[in-house]
Amino acid sequence: MCLQNFPCQEVERHNKPEVELKYVRCMTSPELLLNPVLICLNEAEKCLIETSINSLRISLKVKQADELENILTKKFLRFLSMRAEAFQVLRRKPVQGYDISFLITNYHCEEMQKQKLIDFIVQFMEDIEKEITELKISVNTRGKLVATEFLKQFM
Amino acid sequence: MAYLERSSPTLKETLHKIYRAEKPIEIDQHFYEFGSIQYHIKCSTSDSNIVYVSTSTLLETQGTVTFKEILSHTYEVIKKIAVGVIDIVDPPRLGFQLTLKLHLDNIPRGKEAIKVITRISEIQALILSSQLKEMLKVMNFQDDSQAMNNNRPIRIVYHPSEPFYVFKQPEKLTAVFPMNFTDNSDMVIATSFFQEMEKAPRCNWSPIPPFQLRGEPVQDLTTSSGFVSFDITSRHIEGKSLDKTVWNLLNFYAYVKYHIKCSRGYIQRRMRKRMDSLVKLLINTSLDEEAHQKDGRWKYVKERVKVPTGKLMMKQRCKEITRRVKISKFRIKINGCARFRFNQ
Repeated sequence: MCLQNFPCQEVERHNKPEVELKYVRCMTSPELLLNPVLICLNEAEKCLIETSINSLRISLKVKQADELENILTKKFLRFLSMRAEAFQVLRRKPVQGYDISFLITNYHCEEMQKQKLIDFIVQFMEDIEKEITELKISVNTRGKLVATEFLKQFM
Repeated sequence: MAYLERSSPTLKETLHKIYRAEKPIEIDQHFYEFGSIQYHIKCSTSDSNIVYVSTSTLLETQGTVTFKEILSHTYEVIKKIAVGVIDIVDPPRLGFQLTLKLHLDNIPRGKEAIKVITRISEIQALILSSQLKEMLKVMNFQDDSQAMNNNRPIRIVYHPSEPFYVFKQPEKLTAVFPMNFTDNSDMVIATSFFQEMEKAPRCNWSPIPPFQLRGEPVQDLTTSSGFVSFDITSRHIEGKSLDKTVWNLLNFYAYVKYHIKCSRGYIQRRMRKRMDSLVKLLINTSLDEEAHQKDGRWKYVKERVKVPTGKLMMKQRCKEITRRVKISKFRIKINGCARFRFNQ
């Protein structure tokens, strides 16, 4: 995560995360972008790390085994993305094809400790999976209890 | 049908207000509940002890047993709610199925008054339960052979968008509820709920309609969450069980919707809690260590280290380099470097 401040080469007084302007910069300034790294556990779970001179984008695709996990993941990650300003490093809209994205700039590296930031992202990934699994179990357990109560009266 | 409580809260509150009023009050109030029930309450200052309550609901049934109006048996049951207090007005008010004339001065004083008013507020639940009870009794006593020959299911509509079907099978009746939800997440939560219900005996869930519903309207047979069916045996229709069975059937849609609403609320609460814990985790990554000081709980302890200067520092550095070279296990012997060998 060696990010440094880098004002825009094309436009005066602009200082934007270069990784967000990837599709423009690959034609005009390819030297500012590094090779993206894609880590795949399987087709359903992957992590894309795109780096540039002053910013880093990490996109995650979370495992969704069935319909219930699918809607729980969508709801939860959308809930977090809508509150991205509380997280600072979270992107409001995930990159296409992924469920959630982080955008880390050189400013974040100046304000926060890098090692702890990396630990946070790893912890975030673990917590998301754990939370979705727990939510699924809770919803199913709740449904079972409610069904039992209803059928007790019926029987 | 969206009951979970038998008495209408608005009707109950209004009747209480009229009963407890110190001065006679004028009321001419029209209100709706659950999209299909309407009430009208009229009370005038000239005759403050008389209140007219009119009610109307959707009572559509189609099939071999058809009830489109309130049965005479139901009128008898209504009169028995509070003898001397309730009179049935014939004909009812225009646009309504039933008009009751309440004599407030005949209501007993004290706690009994609350019970009577609560029972009067349950009038709609009583009408619908009574209709459904009669229907189930009639169907249950039908001959199996007669029922098989004329096997068309009865379509019951007590709410415009919530019809359900009842049909006779050998030794039992089956109630089928087509379940429809507009929201995708509601559909998924409901489907997982129905799959849990399916594990119980006498309860079944299927994504496709049962074959007994062939020929029914297409809009009823096209659902997003399948069909839930309950088997009703004679045990459920005899004695006191009938009231419970009927109430559960009438409230099934409301029960499912309430469960989905509570599940969504629970998911939302958990998401908020998890978000708060993740935000706290991020705050800990801050570079400013003094920011971690909070009420003296975090103590920043400075270790006082003596920093050597000048010749002393040079000596220490040489010692460190010598130690590292010795540790490196350098096997090649170089003349003049014997002091760096460990074995020496």
